[in-house]
Amino acid sequence: MASFFSTVKRIYLAIYNWAVFTGWIQVLIFAIKALNESGPAAVYDAVEKPLQLAQTAAILEIIHGLIGLVRSPVSATLPQIGSRLFVTWGILHSFPETRTHILVSSLVISWSLTEIIRYSFFGMKEALGFTPSWLLWLRYSTFLLLYPTGITSEVGLIYIALPYIKASEKFCFRMPNKWNFSFDYYFASLAVLGIYVPGSPHMYTYMLGQRKKALSKLKAA
Amino acid sequence: MKVTLVSRSGREVVRGGIELSDSATVKDLQEAIHAKTKKYYPSRQRLTLPTKAGVSGKPVILSPKSKVSDYCEKGNSDNLTVVFKDLGPQVLYSTLFFFEYLGPLVIYPLFYYLPLYKYFGYDDTNRTIHPVQTYAMYYWCLHYSKRILETFFIHRFSHATSPLSNVFRNCLYYWTFGAYIAYYVNHPLYTPVSETQWKIGFAFGLLCQVSNLYCHIILRNLRSPSGYGGYQIPKGFLFNIVTCANYTTEIYQWLGFNIATQTVAGYVFLVVATAIMTNWAMGKHRRLRKLFDGKDGRPKYPRRWVILPPFF
Repeated sequence: MASFFSTVKRIYLAIYNWAVFTGWIQVLIFAIKALNESGPAAVYDAVEKPLQLAQTAAILEIIHGLIGLVRSPVSATLPQIGSRLFVTWGILHSFPETRTHILVSSLVISWSLTEIIRYSFFGMKEALGFTPSWLLWLRYSTFLLLYPTGITSEVGLIYIALPYIKASEKFCFRMPNKWNFSFDYYFASLAVLGIYVPGSPHMYTYMLGQRKKALSKLKAA
Repeated sequence: MKVTLVSRSGREVVRGGIELSDSATVKDLQEAIHAKTKKYYPSRQRLTLPTKAGVSGKPVILSPKSKVSDYCEKGNSDNLTVVFKDLGPQVLYSTLFFFEYLGPLVIYPLFYYLPLYKYFGYDDTNRTIHPVQTYAMYYWCLHYSKRILETFFIHRFSHATSPLSNVFRNCLYYWTFGAYIAYYVNHPLYTPVSETQWKIGFAFGLLCQVSNLYCHIILRNLRSPSGYGGYQIPKGFLFNIVTCANYTTEIYQWLGFNIATQTVAGYVFLVVATAIMTNWAMGKHRRLRKLFDGKDGRPKYPRRWVILPPFF
């Protein structure tokens, strides 16, 4: 019984990882095509659909972690996916003024490169039972550059969006009301920016630790 | 006798070990370690027996009251290996509580008395203060003053100290929530509930606060002043039906405050605080049930609600 479930789990995770992998390949190809043909301002429109699909699918990963399907701690996946979804839906989708900025190109390329490597890494592990050492190396080394470029792009885009957020009433809930509740999207966005301050070193050092563990296992093998 | 002191990685913490008389207590050992290492005062030391390979469970912590020789293996009373862990800089529990409670006590009245809302973009000049807002401020300040006084005059702590890092973590929690709630209850656009509702809310809250104080007094009398903590079956008043009646009264006290003031912020705080206290209560209840299992002449822990009758 247990091995039946573990096979089903493997098949499901293999399908999930390879499916999202194809999504991110699309994002990268469309982005490069748009850059070549039209320039940075056209990148968002070219990648919008596969980007939204692939990024939102990542919500499943939080569930996978919560129900114990995968070993990744929720404390590492939640902030990463949270920030991605916030930028994808809360900034780029909601405030079109940001879409033509050059940081969108760096964002999309950083994200897609990271995710292509990550999903193929897990996809191979589930489908084939192992990963080639060069892919392992890529997975635990490219973040060294792509985390800083990705985080800079995310923070930059949120910052650029701030004046548009302040001017619009989008997502805001005002007083007075019976429950004495309010929500100000501008302040919330500032708070998100604040979270990046401790959050980014936390994520980076977590990956550094993972890298040390993974590469030392490689040497020992 | 000689005590060899090692870190968890096996390194000798005090070269050559420590010489003690055969009747020395663990407290003497701690003072000897402090004398030799200067940095590690006794409350920073966690001393345990080495775990044996293949044996699971938590390592045995050396109790300051006991004699060192009590922990020696049979037939080997002149040598003992003790594992040392540095718990990091420590503060007194009373210090920790004082600072975490001082924040809300000071921050809340700031929102009541000072024209802060203009910095949030609201016109503060002609605001009317509703009576419920004034009573809420009195209630809140009474609550945190009570907590500070209890810290210094009522509570008997099972551990004397807590890690310094907890000061930052706990202050962040209390001070942030204090500001969050104070912002909404004192807001110029605050909408009060009916007079009946807030009167009931505050009356109920006050009743629970008094009960809570009584619970704390009962808990205090369970522990002797010179003791190092230890557990007894709590009894009397609400403890006869709930293990953690002190948490129960605290939670219901906040419910009273929220019924009176009706803010989402206040209810969020209530939910989070309840979750935290429930977590503690489950641990305490489990510990008491394990300790008082009815065997070997120990009394059996009676069936009781854990924390929140009638739910749990």
